[in-house]
Amino acid sequence: MDELEILKKEWQSREQEFPKLTSKEIYPMLLKKSSSMVKWIFYISIAEMILWTTLYFLVPESSKKFQEGMGLNAIFMWINIFNYGVVFVFVYLFYKNHQKIQVTNTVKELMANILRTRKTVHYFVYYNIGMAAILMFSVNLYYYFNKDKLYHILKSDEFYSAVPPETFITLNAIGGLIIIGFLILFYWVIYGLLLRRLKKNYKELKKIEV
Amino acid sequence: MTKELEHRFVAQLEEHQNIVHKICRLYTNDSDAHNDLFQEITIQLWKAYPKFRGDAKFSTWMYRVALNTAITLYRKSKRTVQTQDYESVSFKVSSEAYDPTVEDQLKLMYNAVKTLSDVDKALVFLYLENKNYREIADTLGITEVNARVKMNRIKEKLRTILNP
Repeated sequence: MDELEILKKEWQSREQEFPKLTSKEIYPMLLKKSSSMVKWIFYISIAEMILWTTLYFLVPESSKKFQEGMGLNAIFMWINIFNYGVVFVFVYLFYKNHQKIQVTNTVKELMANILRTRKTVHYFVYYNIGMAAILMFSVNLYYYFNKDKLYHILKSDEFYSAVPPETFITLNAIGGLIIIGFLILFYWVIYGLLLRRLKKNYKELKKIEV
Repeated sequence: MTKELEHRFVAQLEEHQNIVHKICRLYTNDSDAHNDLFQEITIQLWKAYPKFRGDAKFSTWMYRVALNTAITLYRKSKRTVQTQDYESVSFKVSSEAYDPTVEDQLKLMYNAVKTLSDVDKALVFLYLENKNYREIADTLGITEVNARVKMNRIKEKLRTILNP
């Protein structure tokens, strides 16, 4: 008989020594707050969505005036409307996926549902970073082709006049790249840490089925 | 109604608490973490309880929720990861049944099980609880055939750990 069989036999025939909790000790446990992974993921996801959505509102006044001068107001308005539509779709998808996370799912389903919910938020973040990159690139390109207008505004604006007009585009582009680089690093670290164990286990379960 | 539900739940959990303890012992290394995980499993069971219908056995339903919590939902606190403050397994023995060879063998075996991955541990646990492959497969969300194949591989793995 192999060793696991011996363990199995003993496992069932003898009781193991555990603390015996009485109902009096169990009642207070029901009132405690859960600190589960899903809860963490939920709060972080909501925080991210709020953060990314509020970022649209945080464009400084001076920058708005500047955009107006460059004739970009109308296009930015349309981009904003489009963005809100996208935010709405993501929030809806997140809600639907989050609803599916049930502790009574099978082990594999539960993992898949959590990962799917996270993926929704990841795509939301990718969308935002991508959109920010595209916008930054096109705006800088636009500035480059409309240099005269740009230099004219830069000279007359008290906020931007401190920057030499010739370096404005370069600084703008470098600043944008640094911000995007930081964001990618930040996400890679945070989610790597949070989901490492889950991903590993999920991969293992999937491998069983191959 | 809620009070009644609460009473029923607590009574059932009290009766079947050993299942939860066994899972806690298998997935944690010290009594603090054990209690922490027990607490989290209790919360998850209680949250899911209103949807629990009597058509499944309470214990069967409990296996799934408790394993899900231990494997996926529970976030190990860092301070307890490295420590190992309790003996791996301790069975209650009457003095005449005590056989040191068997005891040692059990300890070795149990320690070997503890080195397995989270998923493998779940399979072994259900196997030790005398669940058939259908039930093991249903709990984990894999097919019965694959559960059997996987279990054979785990047995092989354990053999290698014990006889290097």
